[in-house]
Amino acid sequence: MSFFYVDLSVNQSKTWEKLFFDLKGTKRYNKYCQDADFYNVFKQIILSLLLGEEIVLLDADFSEDEIKRLTANSIYETDDILVNKQLESIESKEDLFQHLRQINKEWQITLYTSGTTGLPKRISHSFQSITRFVKKSENHSSNVWGFAYNPTHMAGIQVFFQALLNGNPIVRLFGLSKEQIFESISEFAVTNISATPTFYRLLLPKFNQYPTVKRLTSGGEKFDEKTTNALKQIFPNAKITNVYASTEAGTLLASSGNNFFIKPEFKGLIKVIENELVIHKSLMGNSDIFSDEWYHTGDIVEIISQNPLNFHFISRKNEMINVGGYKVNPHEVEEAIREIDGVSDVRVFAKSNSVLGNIICSEVVINNDSLNESLIRNQLQTKLQEFKIPRLIKLADKISTTRTGKIKRN
Amino acid sequence: MKKEKLLEIINTIKKNRNEVLINSIDETSDLRNDLGMESLDLAELTVRIEAEYDIDIFEDGIVNTIGEILNKLENKR
Repeated sequence: MSFFYVDLSVNQSKTWEKLFFDLKGTKRYNKYCQDADFYNVFKQIILSLLLGEEIVLLDADFSEDEIKRLTANSIYETDDILVNKQLESIESKEDLFQHLRQINKEWQITLYTSGTTGLPKRISHSFQSITRFVKKSENHSSNVWGFAYNPTHMAGIQVFFQALLNGNPIVRLFGLSKEQIFESISEFAVTNISATPTFYRLLLPKFNQYPTVKRLTSGGEKFDEKTTNALKQIFPNAKITNVYASTEAGTLLASSGNNFFIKPEFKGLIKVIENELVIHKSLMGNSDIFSDEWYHTGDIVEIISQNPLNFHFISRKNEMINVGGYKVNPHEVEEAIREIDGVSDVRVFAKSNSVLGNIICSEVVINNDSLNESLIRNQLQTKLQEFKIPRLIKLADKISTTRTGKIKRN
Repeated sequence: MKKEKLLEIINTIKKNRNEVLINSIDETSDLRNDLGMESLDLAELTVRIEAEYDIDIFEDGIVNTIGEILNKLENKR
């Protein structure tokens, strides 16, 4: 298949030839990129690479005010530059790869972290750090990528570069309905999908099988066993990989389960201090927020073995909910609720309370009408300590997520 | 009216804990001693009352009896 990008929900399909044609026709370039059309974002990133100019990605739904604050008004003072580089010579993927092998060292990509706390932070990456985990080989050349992230966020950028550098087509799945997602997977014979656990959970239950998918990648939250098993039924030929990545560092770790090992080349650069994962600044992107030698990720892990370092993720540091002095890990509670038959998705969060400081609340999406609040509660009483059981359980149609697709905590 | 609603809320909490339901309450009923509510139950009670009447009954300190809660709800009016 020679397409570069397709979006079945709006009948949009772009071939590589069309991409080269559009690139050649571009007369002006501005480093600020804000566009709701994924194709335009991808095209702009490729153009920035060819020109060796910085690109700054802004979420399509950022308001004018947000953009003014984030860029300190500089967006309105940045003039377009004229594209005078010869792009005519790009006629094929091979020509494009030839150009991409000589990326200007000055090139950088800047994005903003989703900022679950306060204002989004600005982070820049070099070509080397953004493509650190890209695997390029003959084996990957026939892959077809299901694109399930926002293209202006780190996870989406990672998928984009993996697909681009192997010349793979990209099939949009992000923001599509469940039916459209499966239709896209089947029609375009998608082989690889990378998405948050929440995205995968929303695909369940499903009773058809999709054998073309060879690999499912997930990250951003802990992956539970029930979802893993359900996905294995739907995608019988898929290997499931868990990735640890952040906007600050890019992709750092990959694992076939929930246990992570440090790659030999990162030895001594990733360590655990007081149960928190810390990363040496040499592995980080550039930003004002990295002033110390070690960056504290806020991710709480449990060490399984010291040498080689092997651990699994427990929670986010600031996500622990304090209920009258007892610490509750919302992930643990979510996992217990998710294991209940008839539950398809769940969100656990804190509500502030004058008696205990916080009280545990949850929203649950059920796929079995006979399930209700007290039945859920009864089952939890055998699994969780009393103070961890949500005091308010609301049945909901869908779970609220942040702009990167993670579960909202407040 | 408010008393009946309050009884209903308390029984929702009791039912969720698989505890014996209460038939009636009066102004002197003590939340902890007579109705057997512990801190988690009281926390839930505040949230449920707040959802219903938009008032945090524990905002200015601990209340002990049903009468004190009813007072707070009345004063809000």
